Amino acid sequence: MMDLWYDLPVAAQDLLAVIGLLLPALITGVVVLRGHTPWPLVKAIIWRFRVPSVMFIVLIAVSVGLGVGLLAQERGLRKGTAQAADKFDLIVSAPGSELSVMLAAVFLQPSDMGLIDGETYNEIAATESVAIAAPLAFGDSYAGAPVIGSTAEFVAYLTDQNVEGAIFADHEEAVVGALVPLEIGAQFTPAHGMTHIDGGAEEHGVSFSVTGRMAPTGTPWDRAIIVPVEAVWEVHGLANGHAPEAGDVIGGPFDAEYFPGTPAVVVHAEALWANYALRSTFTRDRETMAFFPGAVLAGLYNVMGDVRQAMSVMALVTQVLVAVSVMLGLFILSRLFRRQVALLRALGAPSRFVFAMMWSFSAVLLLSGAITGMLIGVGAAMVLSQIVTAQTNILVTAPLGWQEIQFVAGFVSVTLLISLLPAAVVLRQPVVEGLRA
Amino acid sequence: MGLDLTIRDLKVTSPRGRDILSVPQLDIAAGSLVGIAGPSGAGKSTLLYALAGMLEAKGCIVWNDTDLLTLREEQRTAFRASHIGMIFQDFLLFEELSAAANASLTSLYRPRAQRAGIRQRAAERLAALGLKEPDRSVASYSGGERQRVAIARALSANAPVLLADEPTASLDRAAADKLITDLVALARTSGTTLIAVSHDQHLIDRMDRVLTVSDGKIVEPRGQAA
Repeated sequence: MMDLWYDLPVAAQDLLAVIGLLLPALITGVVVLRGHTPWPLVKAIIWRFRVPSVMFIVLIAVSVGLGVGLLAQERGLRKGTAQAADKFDLIVSAPGSELSVMLAAVFLQPSDMGLIDGETYNEIAATESVAIAAPLAFGDSYAGAPVIGSTAEFVAYLTDQNVEGAIFADHEEAVVGALVPLEIGAQFTPAHGMTHIDGGAEEHGVSFSVTGRMAPTGTPWDRAIIVPVEAVWEVHGLANGHAPEAGDVIGGPFDAEYFPGTPAVVVHAEALWANYALRSTFTRDRETMAFFPGAVLAGLYNVMGDVRQAMSVMALVTQVLVAVSVMLGLFILSRLFRRQVALLRALGAPSRFVFAMMWSFSAVLLLSGAITGMLIGVGAAMVLSQIVTAQTNILVTAPLGWQEIQFVAGFVSVTLLISLLPAAVVLRQPVVEGLRA
Repeated sequence: MGLDLTIRDLKVTSPRGRDILSVPQLDIAAGSLVGIAGPSGAGKSTLLYALAGMLEAKGCIVWNDTDLLTLREEQRTAFRASHIGMIFQDFLLFEELSAAANASLTSLYRPRAQRAGIRQRAAERLAALGLKEPDRSVASYSGGERQRVAIARALSANAPVLLADEPTASLDRAAADKLITDLVALARTSGTTLIAVSHDQHLIDRMDRVLTVSDGKIVEPRGQAA
């Protein structure tokens, strides 16, 4: 049986899970409503008590919306961060914190890091299975956009060659990320440090000309400016990685003697399997460390997963409290129209009809609240995603997923089953008392 | 079409065990118009609700050959649905529904085969009671018109018994008099047994028989002997 389940496509599993979650509610609905059409009365009662009904719907909607929004946002963040690290198969750096190096290299968050020397870099670049070994140089910025030194080869790899205009070919040329407010042909002078963080920085006095614009990548690199790594070293008064007699060349190979050092090397291997061998090769005590940013993120997700599990227990407790509140709310609402219920009983309406009417009333409120909540959740997740994207430059999208639909389906089923109780209790109220209420 | 009512040793007690109604013997012939008068709190409405099987009681309340007090609650409800129409002091209508929908309310839960007939009768009763716009929401109706809708509702299921609890109490004199005339005429033409609790002497005067209830007992039967 389990084999059959695992053989199904994921979408089919998700769909079946939703149906399974909704099944108790559907069966209840069919059994309760069979042979009865209480809708005109349900409509009339909702309209009569529209203010408390709307308040009840809003409470349900907010509760469901919070759940949906958080689930969608958490998934969007995972997806966005994983996507941002997509192009960074392997990073080699000086020993230290993998997380710090990843944050600096992938997410362009400033960090103090050790440097890899020229010999080590050349060893990495010369390794047989390495297709690209791009040194990175950080520390400068222009108008809040980090200016990163690297190679033309890296820009081509990062963008899959999707560059409007041309990739830099000279020391004083630059390629800008898709969201950098500089036109092709514009001139700019970078400054040391991050101007928006340091609150003002010293300009280097070297101007760069924008030759190209990278296609959007959905990563923090969309707000970065990439210049030849040689230029970054030069503006800091260092050797530019090449012997003086080599002239104004840019890009590898570099001369180890004139190589000032790089905090991180982004490595792309010719084949996926080779990455594991490279990681092993360049993981050396006190010299270098090599790691997969994806694995660091996975570790981070695991930690988040533990937190998430703890939060899930809290969320479950919250949902139980919401369910209890729903029941109490329905009890209170049902008290509002006990005269109408008593009237129906006095006129001879069968208890099953009155029960169906009461349950349908609850069902309409709960379903309206759940659907509205789903919309609120998706809307909230979209707004949050935009804020997170604007603040981190990581493209976070949080569309409605199966997980949220399953969450809502479960909520609807549980609460519709719970609402059987107030409907049953209403039937036990004495008719005459109800008429005199 | 009518139902004879026979009551023997009826006792209704409060939850605390106090006797609130005691009727050793009462017989009402099918098709009679009976008024129940008496001071407030005397037990008039209690008697009415007991006749409808809506109160737990001891003794016998027999409509033809059906003793309500031997039936389970669901059976009593079913009996009311097919045999008893009810009218209340404050109409108890669904304000958001039209007059036609209110008058044919019972069609929502009666067997499918009877629904069209109920709607048809409700329309006829509304017309007979002078309500010209049955599709209008009852929220826009006057008190007199609302009570007419309630009467049409009570008669739409073709019930042989009509129990009315202070049907004119919420109406002004002119509206009450017109309603009394129509109610009595409808009951007489359809052969319906009408039992009405009322403080309204105009209504009481139009009844065939009047029972006065005081302190939970029928103390002054007038007209036909109790």
